[in-house]
Amino acid sequence: MYTFEFALQILVNGLITGSIYVLVAMGLTLIFGILGVINFSHGEFYMLGGYLGVVASSAYGVPLLAALPLGMAGVALLGIAAERLVFRPIRDRDVTNSIISSFGLAVVLQNAALLAFGPQPQLIKTSLSSISLSAFGVFVTFQRAAIPIITAILVILFHVVLRYTWTGRCLRAVAQHPTIAQLSGVDVNRVAVATFAMGAALAGGAGLMMASVFMVQPGVGNMITLKAFTVVIMGGMGNVHGAVVAGLLLGVAESFTSGYLTNDFRDIIGFMMVIMVLLFRPSGLFGRAVDRA
Amino acid sequence: MQKLWTLIGAALLVAGSVTLSSAAEPVKVGVILPLSGGSSIAGSEVIQGVKLAIEEVNAQGGVLSGRQIELVIEDDESSPTKGTMAARKLIESDGVVAIIGTYNSAVSATAMKVAAEHKVPMSSGGSTSVSVTNQNEPGNPWFFRAFPGSDEQGTQSAVDVIEVLGKKRLAILHDNSAYGKSLADTFEKVTVEAGAEILAKESYNAGEQDFYSVLSKLRALEPEAVYMGGLVGDGANIVRQAAEIGLKALFVGSGSMMTDKFIELAGPASEGFAVSSMFEPNTTNDYGRAFAERYKTRWGVSANVHAALGYDSMTLVAKAIDRAGSTDGVAIRDALMKSDDVPLVQGPPGTMAKYDEIGGVSFKIGMAVVKDGKREMLPFNR
Amino acid sequence: MGRLATLVAVLGSVAIPFVVENSYIVNVCIVIFIFVILSVGLDLVLGYCGQYSFAQGAFYGIGAYTAAILYNNFDLSFWVTMPAGILSAGLFGLLLAIPSLRLAGHFLAITTIAFQTIVYLLLTQWTELTGGQYGLPMRPIEPLSLFGFEVLRVEGTTSFYFLAFAAMAVAVLIAQRLAGSRLGAEWKAIHDDELLARAIGLNATRNKIVAFVASAALAGAGGVLIAYYLGSVYPTDFSIWTSATVVAMVVVGGRATIIGPIIGAVIFTAMPEVLRATQDYKLIIYGLLMILAITFLPDGAVGGVRRLIRARS
Repeated sequence: MYTFEFALQILVNGLITGSIYVLVAMGLTLIFGILGVINFSHGEFYMLGGYLGVVASSAYGVPLLAALPLGMAGVALLGIAAERLVFRPIRDRDVTNSIISSFGLAVVLQNAALLAFGPQPQLIKTSLSSISLSAFGVFVTFQRAAIPIITAILVILFHVVLRYTWTGRCLRAVAQHPTIAQLSGVDVNRVAVATFAMGAALAGGAGLMMASVFMVQPGVGNMITLKAFTVVIMGGMGNVHGAVVAGLLLGVAESFTSGYLTNDFRDIIGFMMVIMVLLFRPSGLFGRAVDRA
Repeated sequence: MQKLWTLIGAALLVAGSVTLSSAAEPVKVGVILPLSGGSSIAGSEVIQGVKLAIEEVNAQGGVLSGRQIELVIEDDESSPTKGTMAARKLIESDGVVAIIGTYNSAVSATAMKVAAEHKVPMSSGGSTSVSVTNQNEPGNPWFFRAFPGSDEQGTQSAVDVIEVLGKKRLAILHDNSAYGKSLADTFEKVTVEAGAEILAKESYNAGEQDFYSVLSKLRALEPEAVYMGGLVGDGANIVRQAAEIGLKALFVGSGSMMTDKFIELAGPASEGFAVSSMFEPNTTNDYGRAFAERYKTRWGVSANVHAALGYDSMTLVAKAIDRAGSTDGVAIRDALMKSDDVPLVQGPPGTMAKYDEIGGVSFKIGMAVVKDGKREMLPFNR
Repeated sequence: MGRLATLVAVLGSVAIPFVVENSYIVNVCIVIFIFVILSVGLDLVLGYCGQYSFAQGAFYGIGAYTAAILYNNFDLSFWVTMPAGILSAGLFGLLLAIPSLRLAGHFLAITTIAFQTIVYLLLTQWTELTGGQYGLPMRPIEPLSLFGFEVLRVEGTTSFYFLAFAAMAVAVLIAQRLAGSRLGAEWKAIHDDELLARAIGLNATRNKIVAFVASAALAGAGGVLIAYYLGSVYPTDFSIWTSATVVAMVVVGGRATIIGPIIGAVIFTAMPEVLRATQDYKLIIYGLLMILAITFLPDGAVGGVRRLIRARS
């Protein structure tokens, strides 16, 4: 039973799941790294991205690939609104404030979605899901196969923006030293807006893609938030490249646990990994400086 | 600082002197269901059945010589603490004479203790676990369940899989709620006793979504049928993903999965999906079919098992109140126990609400399959 | 003046079961008292010592489950399970204190969240021990017998009310003494500037450990009480949401005050009950209130009232 084909299938499953974790975690680690905000409502951006996709495709008949940039833009706007209304007023205070505030925001967003869309799960129907690829005993639908590809594109795009654009440099400056960045003329407000916009857009994009694979319900954000935090801790808080590696690692680890051990441990494996990292390398596998006690 | 203490002391005294009056002309019946959170779909469907029953009763003049029934609805958010507090509020603040509720067995188990303490009869809003009725004192039940419990459901599914569907190589996939686990355990026990082989028994967290890897594992084991214990959203995901991953097995689900939404979400992969079902709109039970038509007229959607059990639950309580001739909890409870002549919309033709001494009702459970994209009930005597 | 006010509050609380007609309010008060124990405990480690702990829900659960497991497996009575619950929660608090020695700020917060989540997952998955999603049943509080004589009997809602009230009073007194003692002052010093505190010779390690253990132990006591009150334990009540709510109680009420958490506990327990009328919007309002409270009352309700008083005078 445990053939090479089986292992390959499990690996592919893991990479696909991991890609989603990467997108969500990248946004989260960005928001933390640059703004020092711990955003517990990040999973709700994912959820809302999914719903925007559902609305676009069922109400307006927009095909999936076109809906993606639209959905990401929509969630980006939401992220900007959140930054302006919820996080900016408490920017200079200690981290507990942002944790509680973002919890409150998560509750608001989740229940607003429940009221607006109802509790039934919704699915984005796409013709891409019926095209199934099969090679080396690995079964995957076209739409699922597209996920890692789209993720890779987004990651590269993101990397380019961060490294080579003026906005990107401002972001990195603020991440390294907010005061000096401000003194050098960086507008911290603009940076905050850009960060939230990007972070939210990434999460929203992930949610939209997943709404065609898994379905979206108001509560999907909860587990995703926790998993995203797991990835961010493992990769090092604020470390975008770490988030990419850790995200894929988590996806693959979950997949292998499910396929070779038992599905019961699937969610626990992530938390076990987090404990190990926190005990032995709290700055993350690729980390950066930790607040030392 | 000191002023704050004074304020608090004063506030407490004021709060203490507020009294509440209760019960005017209408007879109040409390409803506790999950109206938010994961089980809210089920909760909202049960409540529609309840409301239809109320409307019919009230249209025919209500109970106790012309008193209308008024529902007081509380959301338990699937939490035992909230459910208990809701029960206390309904009984003590609102003065309800009976309670319909609730859906999640964990919540029912705690809330029923409040009902028993205050001698207010409670009728299940979908909670199936026998652990709840087992808390009843034999001959003195306060929690009633007008349909078979989880062990019977699991057993019937198991029997049907072996005898009607003829599958022997089986796999089980269940969520780790009390409901999913108890169904899975019963299913395993009965099928193994009948000589079946359980190739794998895996669990998942409700709301999980990503089943690809566990399904890949099952695919490698090549079962003839896979039994799922859990909720409709996860069930639909599993069936769809199984088709995508090339797992060719018959999928058998638990009661709450047989809905139109399931077929919509699972897509073409839902063809052939089988579920032990106590009610379908085209049931052979005449009383049930008539109900389905009235429900469709009233709400515009087709009824399912949740709506049916809500309807039965409320109808029985309303009749019991009327027969008791008073709003006394003990009288209503006693009348409820003598409901043998009240027909149920669920179950085979001629099913009556014959409660046993711990408040449960037993009847043969049917099987429904998805044929050509539609739910169809197989005859009860197959 | 403060003494008088406290006396009025105490007398008012004691009078409630006798004055109020429907026991629904009495029951809400019981839950409030239990949450006061949780929030006052959390204030010690979060408010005074400044260590971000999102694990109060886990310790609450550990206390509750310890009592339930001891009852179900060894048939022990409340008078044994209560101290056992406090002890086991305290031990786990010791466990969580260890990372606090090396991490601070966001990292510690995340670690406590991970701890909370792992405890929750264990409660739901380790069915043999904890009953998993089935939960475990509890029986009502047994009478206390000493030397063959029955000393105390706690039966019925009113008795439980007084038990919970007494427990809360003890917890508040303990917290107040700790906060007002030298230890409390050292906690505040660590909160303000740990490096400096260490530099002047304070034993930050020992102090932090004590803070975690104390807050966990109090939460454990609360957990035992809720287990007996509900008559059963289920994992749902001990999740990260509970932890977040308790943190909100402390922060919105007012950190590093004893009365702040009490106010917070009252607000957050009573609020859902008050909001029941607005069924569908209930949770949205709840979340909005959390955000607004944090944004506009950084020092909590206590801080807000203090500023008001200062502005008047």
